[in-house]
Amino acid sequence: MWLDFPIYASVAILCWLAASGLFLSSGKKLMNQMAAGLSFAGTAFLLVFITILWLHIQRPPMRTLGETRLWYAIFLSGIGLVSYLRWKYKWLVSYSLGLAIVFLIINLQHPETYDKTLMPALQSSWFIPHVIVYIFAYAMLGASSLVALRNLFFAPTEKIVKGPIQMADNLVYLGFSFLTFGLLFGALWAKEAWGHYWTWDPKETWAFITWMFYLVYIHYRFRHPSEHKRAMTILAVSFAILLICWFGVNYLPSAQNSVHIYSE
Amino acid sequence: MSHENNRKTWTQPWSYREGTIVTAAILLLGFALQAAGGGMVLRVAAFPWNLVAGLVFLALLISAFVLWQKHQVMKWLGGVKAALPAILGFTFLVLLMGFVKQDVEPKSALVKLLGLTHLVKTWPFILINLYLMILLGVVTLKRLTPFSLKNAGFFLNHFGLFLVLFSTALGSSDMQRLRMNCYEDQTEWRAVDTSGKTVELPIAIKLLNFNIDEFRPKVTIIDNKTGQIELNKGKNQFELLDRNALDLFGYQIEVEQFLESSGKVGDAYFPVNEPGSAPSAKVKVTKDGTEISGWVCSGSYVNQPEALKLNETHSLVMLPAEPRKFSSELNINTKSGKNIVTTIEVNRPYKIEGWTIYQLSYNTEMGRWSNLSVLELVRDPWLPVVYFGIFLMMAGAAFLFITGKPKNGGTEHVA
Repeated sequence: MWLDFPIYASVAILCWLAASGLFLSSGKKLMNQMAAGLSFAGTAFLLVFITILWLHIQRPPMRTLGETRLWYAIFLSGIGLVSYLRWKYKWLVSYSLGLAIVFLIINLQHPETYDKTLMPALQSSWFIPHVIVYIFAYAMLGASSLVALRNLFFAPTEKIVKGPIQMADNLVYLGFSFLTFGLLFGALWAKEAWGHYWTWDPKETWAFITWMFYLVYIHYRFRHPSEHKRAMTILAVSFAILLICWFGVNYLPSAQNSVHIYSE
Repeated sequence: MSHENNRKTWTQPWSYREGTIVTAAILLLGFALQAAGGGMVLRVAAFPWNLVAGLVFLALLISAFVLWQKHQVMKWLGGVKAALPAILGFTFLVLLMGFVKQDVEPKSALVKLLGLTHLVKTWPFILINLYLMILLGVVTLKRLTPFSLKNAGFFLNHFGLFLVLFSTALGSSDMQRLRMNCYEDQTEWRAVDTSGKTVELPIAIKLLNFNIDEFRPKVTIIDNKTGQIELNKGKNQFELLDRNALDLFGYQIEVEQFLESSGKVGDAYFPVNEPGSAPSAKVKVTKDGTEISGWVCSGSYVNQPEALKLNETHSLVMLPAEPRKFSSELNINTKSGKNIVTTIEVNRPYKIEGWTIYQLSYNTEMGRWSNLSVLELVRDPWLPVVYFGIFLMMAGAAFLFITGKPKNGGTEHVA
C-alpha cells in the first residue's frame, strides 16, 4: 500500500505548491478561490490515501512515525485552509502548506515497511482519540509557531501587528485544549491498560514538559498582553520542546524500553 | 520596566525577582535536604496520616487566605509573577527526569546523593509540588471570592490541577500494585509487591484457562554467514504470512501450505495440536529463474526452528508469531463469599471489592502454550478524587476550546 504513496504524495505536493503560488502571487478573488480549492484537493487526496491504507492494514494507521507525519500533513493543511477561510491570512496557509510538504517529503525519503501487527496494549478504544487529538494539537501549535517565527524574523517593524498575535493566541488556546485532552485521555487509557494513570514514562515526561511550556506562554500572554517579542520567543521555544517530545524521545537514552516508542 | 529595575528586592509589590528567588530557594533547600538524608527514597505517610495531613493543609491554606486576603504577599501568591517561576522550577525538575533515566541504579555518587534517578520521591520534587499546590489553592480561592460565572473555566483548570496534584501526592502511599503468578488449575491468593514482599490477599484466584490469539508469523531473509536479518535501507524488512504471494528482496515467495500448529514427521510438517507445536509453512521461492521449495518453521520451546536455504548467501526464516490478544479465564473467590467466573485481557481489567485485576504477562518462552498467567492487582482508594480532578481539567479544557483567550487579557485581574 505504501508503494502507491509516492503517487498520492506527489499529487498533494503539486496541488499545495500551486495553491501557495496562487495565494502569494496575486490578490485577485478568483485566484484565491482557485488556490483554496487546490489546497483542499491536496488534503483530500491524502485523506483518500490514509483511508485506503487503514482498510488495507486492518488497524488504525497511527503506530509508526511515518503514519503520524501523514496525519500531521493532513491536519496542518486543513488548519491552514480553515484559518484562511476564517481570517483571510494568506501567508499562514502558505506556510502551513509548506510545512505539510516538508513532512510529506520526509515520508518519501523514509519509506515505511508496513506492519499489520498491533500489540495488545494498543488495541483499545482510547487509541484513536488519543493519537488524533494529539496530532491535531501538534498541528495547531505548529501553525502558531509559524506565526511566532514570522513575527520574530519577518515582521515589518519592531512593533508586531496586532492581528497575527491574536491569531497565535487563538491557535495556542485551541491547541492547548487539545493537548490537555490528549494528555488526560492518555492517563485514563494507561489506567485501563497498565494499572496506573501516570508512570513518568519518558514520553509522558516530555509530553508534560511540552504542556508546561505552553502553560508558560498562556500565563505570560495573560499577564503581559503587550510584550509581544518575548511571548513569541516563548512560543518558538515551546514548539522546539514539542518536537523533542514527538521525534526526539525515540533517540534519548532515558527512553529505552518506553511503551511509547514508535516503531520504524 | 525601569521602574521595576529600580525597586529594591523584597519591597512591595513583589515581582518575578522574588518569585525566582523563592522557587530557587525551594529547589536548593530540597536538594540540600536530599543530600543530607544521603539520597534516601521518600514516601508520604500512609492512611490515615496522609488524610490528616491533607485536611490540615487545606485548613491552613483556607484560614491563611481568609486572614491575609488583602495582604500584598497573598495577592502576589495568587498571581502570574509567583506562578511563572514556580512552573519553570517544576519544569526544570521534570526536564531532569526527561534526561536522566528513572527507576534504575544510580551510576554515580552525586546522582545517588541528589536522588536524580527517582526524582518523584525526593525532597525537591515534594517541596515544589507543595509550593505549586499553595499557589493553585490561593489563586482558586482568590477567583472564587466573589463567585462569578465568568470565572468558571478558570476555576475548572486551576482547581482541577490542584485536586490532581493533591490526591496523587497524598494517595501515592495508599496505592498497592501487586503481581500474582497464576498457574492453570491452581488457586492463588498470594502476590508480590513492588519491593518483593509477599502479601496475602482477601481474594483467591484460580486460573481456569490462559489463551493467546496470535497474528500470522512474519518471514524475513537472513545472511547465512552472520545469521543476522538482512536490512533494507537500514530497516528490517519483514512480511506477514497472511497472503499466498510475497516479495522480499526480489525473492518471489509463494505459500503453498500454512499450518498454524504443526509438528515435524520425517521431512514434512503435519497439523498437530499439542504443547510446543509451532506454525510452519511450505513455500516455493523463485529468483532469477531458480526455484527452491521447502518448509520453514518458527520453532518453539520444544521444537527447533527450520530455515530454508535459498542460496550461498541467503536463507528464509520464520519469526515467532506475535500475540494479537492474550486473556485469562478466572474463577475469583472473595473472603466476603463472592464467587465469580470472568475473563480478563489487556485493556479489559476486572474490578472487584476495591481491587482491579489486570492481565500483565505470561511465560513468553512458552508463548501460546504458557500455563502461567501473570496478573497485576491494583488498589487505589484515592482514584475517585484523582478522576474528579481529571474531569474538572477536561471541562476546563473544553472551556479553553470554546471561549479562547480572555478578551481583556490580564488587565482585569492584575496581581
